[in-house]
Amino acid sequence: MSDPYKVLGISPHASDDEVKQAYRALAKKYHPDRYGESGLASQAAEKMKEINEAYDRIMKQRKEGIPYIPEDTYSCPYNNYSNNTAYTNNNYSGSQSYQSSSSSRDYTAIYRMINEGRLSEAEQILNGYSPTERDAEWYYLMGTISYSKGWLEEAFNYASTACHMAPHVDKYRALYERIVQQRSGTQGGYVTTRGGAADCCDCISCLICTDCLCNCGRCS
Amino acid sequence: MFGYLQPFRDELKMKDNTLYKSVYCGLCRSLRRDYGIKSSLTLSYDCTVLAMLYLSLHDTPCNVTKGRCTVNPLKKCMLCSCDGEALSFSGAVSVIMSWHKLKDTMNDSGFIKKAAAAVLRVFLKGNYRRARKKYPLIDEYTSEMMEQQNDAERNGAGIDRAADPTAKLISRLCESFSPDAAEKKTLAVFGYYVGRWIYLMDACDDLEKDIRKKNFNPFIAKHGEDIRETMKYCNEVLNMTAAQLIMAYELLELHRFKAILDNIIYNGIPMQQKKLIRDRYDKRNKHRDYYPALDNSE
Repeated sequence: MSDPYKVLGISPHASDDEVKQAYRALAKKYHPDRYGESGLASQAAEKMKEINEAYDRIMKQRKEGIPYIPEDTYSCPYNNYSNNTAYTNNNYSGSQSYQSSSSSRDYTAIYRMINEGRLSEAEQILNGYSPTERDAEWYYLMGTISYSKGWLEEAFNYASTACHMAPHVDKYRALYERIVQQRSGTQGGYVTTRGGAADCCDCISCLICTDCLCNCGRCS
Repeated sequence: MFGYLQPFRDELKMKDNTLYKSVYCGLCRSLRRDYGIKSSLTLSYDCTVLAMLYLSLHDTPCNVTKGRCTVNPLKKCMLCSCDGEALSFSGAVSVIMSWHKLKDTMNDSGFIKKAAAAVLRVFLKGNYRRARKKYPLIDEYTSEMMEQQNDAERNGAGIDRAADPTAKLISRLCESFSPDAAEKKTLAVFGYYVGRWIYLMDACDDLEKDIRKKNFNPFIAKHGEDIRETMKYCNEVLNMTAAQLIMAYELLELHRFKAILDNIIYNGIPMQQKKLIRDRYDKRNKHRDYYPALDNSE
């Protein structure tokens, strides 16, 4: 195994807090929530595992070397991902629970196909459904397939339809929200609306609103 | 390729800027060595990025030496040279793609452009043949992509379908950079979004011209001829592509040029989008926030 400090990108002289900080930043970066459905989930999980192992090793080494670490009982918060293959292989295994409640159709076969990476096959079957048969889950599944295929506009349209049809299902909402966030530019790309560059109209309306809230009696 | 992938040089260290330029010049030199001085015409920033990505994925020895510019011998410059085929591969990509692009221009442009393209094609014919002989796969992929592109444009495809051929081409090129299966997958995804981003940037760039000349453009369908709304929408589409691109990028194991590639991905891409979307249509704000990328880095 490679040097654990190198994996976390820190020097061996880093303090425990620095190690934790670096670990947290990396864990956030490669978190399965970020990579889910994108087709790179398994690579991200691999990276996550590497980071977890590196972190565990550093912590273990330090614990053995320096017995008086203040918080020696620290356990890594994301540990559940290190041995958890749920995110790599059974990404959609949790679907069973609400399938009965939210849809009358059985999409188990489609979920399996998506997990196995047979995207075009799954898409073909889904396209066979007539427009009247298409429920929220159908749109969600099409969105997922488009998303991992890289057809991001279709993914966006499908996900927003699914979310509008069944707003209470977390899974649809999560996909939709992730896409909306990506489109805003905060995760790469260009953010058009920055705090500093407000319109003069914005400024004036802000001032008016502030004025309305003021109770001092002297203003207006 | 159109030269949209560029570093944001204000944020680059001097050392990295020199290195970046040395790869550009090295690629130019390698083109001259492989195909003669004419082929230097086809050189683009995108191909430089491709070469850098190739180089950064491998540990092959690579050195930078002082030399003279290929085109202007009076100018001194740094030249990057390496074992392995990173530079010759990117050079071939440059020549072959330029050739196909000229062919495309000849089919659907005004008379003057057509004539210019025809002259250039005669000029580059020998180079193209040699490149095709050396890398038949690149030529196969590119002509396939051109065909699909024309198909999509004729049928008035949506954004995803229109961007697909270019995305697939870059994906296939990037994929060939690594022998490792897992890395291949990451590279394929990365390349797909890079290609998609480049295509969409180009479509966005040509929007006004296409509306005026009633040409095909995937962005027209949604908001018609309302430029402002369309530009906003373009930015959203580009942002999402960039977000996916970054996700794939962060899984790559880079051995060198990391600072430069980071700069291109995290600073260059927003800067290019800003140039295209904001500065052109919002002249008032042009100089107000010259460094939007700074907000992320500080």
